[in-house]
Amino acid sequence: MSDIEDMLSVPEPSVDTDRALARLRARVESERITPVTRAAAPPRQRAAVSGWLKGLSAAATVALVATVLTMSGLAETILTIFEPKQIVAVPITSADLNGASSFDAYGTLTWTEQPKPYDVPDIRTAARESGMTVLVAGNLPAGVGAPRYGVMPKTTATFTFSAEKARQAAAAQKRTPPPMPANMDGSKLFITGGPAVVAFYGDGTAPAAPTGASGESPFAGMPKLIVAQGRPPVVQSDGVTVDQLQSYLLQQPGISPQLAAQIRAIKDPSSTLPVPIPVDMATSKKVTVQGVEGIFVGDSTGLGSAVIWQKDGIVYGVAGTLTEQQVLAVANSLH
Amino acid sequence: MEAAERLRLGSVPVPGMPPAFERLFRREYPRVVAIAHRVVADADEAEDVAQDVFVSFYRRHPADAHYAAPWLYAAAAHAALNVLRSRERRGRRDAVEAVRRDAQAPDPAQAAETAETRSEVRAALARLPERSAALLALRYSGLSYEEIAAALGLRQSSIGTLLRRAEDAFRKEVAK
Repeated sequence: MSDIEDMLSVPEPSVDTDRALARLRARVESERITPVTRAAAPPRQRAAVSGWLKGLSAAATVALVATVLTMSGLAETILTIFEPKQIVAVPITSADLNGASSFDAYGTLTWTEQPKPYDVPDIRTAARESGMTVLVAGNLPAGVGAPRYGVMPKTTATFTFSAEKARQAAAAQKRTPPPMPANMDGSKLFITGGPAVVAFYGDGTAPAAPTGASGESPFAGMPKLIVAQGRPPVVQSDGVTVDQLQSYLLQQPGISPQLAAQIRAIKDPSSTLPVPIPVDMATSKKVTVQGVEGIFVGDSTGLGSAVIWQKDGIVYGVAGTLTEQQVLAVANSLH
Repeated sequence: MEAAERLRLGSVPVPGMPPAFERLFRREYPRVVAIAHRVVADADEAEDVAQDVFVSFYRRHPADAHYAAPWLYAAAAHAALNVLRSRERRGRRDAVEAVRRDAQAPDPAQAAETAETRSEVRAALARLPERSAALLALRYSGLSYEEIAAALGLRQSSIGTLLRRAEDAFRKEVAK
């Protein structure tokens, strides 16, 4: 018997399952508790993998859409490649987000390798499983505890355009869609993202206890600091010209003329990763991080800050409930 | 009988307990109690925790959900740890008293000592981060790495490392 088994040992409980079931039945009846009859949503428990899954997926979707929207000027060969080398802020509004996020309206997205982030015990495992050198912050704000690491493996998806789906989606909104070029119908985009590594730093306090017996994630709260790094998305197309693609997507009803103009204004779109900045919630400016140009994003409440940059083929991000100075200090201390 | 009267008499039938839920209960109840018992070290309190866990599942999830068992195990560990923490908040004396019923021994002095030790160990468990404490609770209730991974949403390959760390942290807390 191990020492811990010994410490935690308790007498074998004698359980009377019939009596326990009768007790539960009595409670269910007296409190008039009804059972779930429809299929429930997937258990929240999976969220305990990490609270960051939701945010990361949302961010990935926005980045994906914006990336496709900015594809332009590429060689019109069978296989065209989008491979960002730098980043640029693209201001978007909530209306843009709603309009652009309905990717389903133009076709079908099929995941070949799903974005399934998972926790890893330490930085060494994070580095091994992501195949990247994971940078460590040399300068942490006071009161920030030890990090927890998560890995998002490489993710691949295929998007197949469908004129029929576009027609149906527009009809459902009582709108007339722009005509989809004939050769676009059935054409495919191959999208690759990641891998990525995210380090979460708490503020040293114990995580909030879950309420009742719901089994909810104790890590649902926002970490004090997040340091992320990952390979940027790469998009390939199997035939449709990127000019056609851009022209078609930018005239969709959900895309505002302002957003379309912003995207058309990107000088080198084949190698620029657009970072959508929700203008009604955040402000952004250019900063120098690790010797390269990056984007600083501050939320309008002044409570949260983030900095994003790309260097040597990797996109980095540092975010947290910190000041601009603190976030930049962490970012510049990564080594 | 009028509807109002039926209501007054409490005789309006509630939807019956689905047979699938009964089967789930019979299959998993002993294990859910065992997990809670390992944490709270009191048989009656462990059964109370198990009842709450099953009611919570009954309200929100279909009995034949594929995730039913891992959900119940995780919920049992979290709910039992919550009981420990509230005990600690009430004070040391209450915490010792809570485990005394289970600490039976022929000699009253020995029983008191067992209760004291068990209570101190539980206090250390309550001070651990939630995930570490839940890992220990599930592992020392006899769950396999695969079952723990499913319950806590972790990779099976990480369980060994995380468990060793949780054990080290636990030993340090106990020694404090």
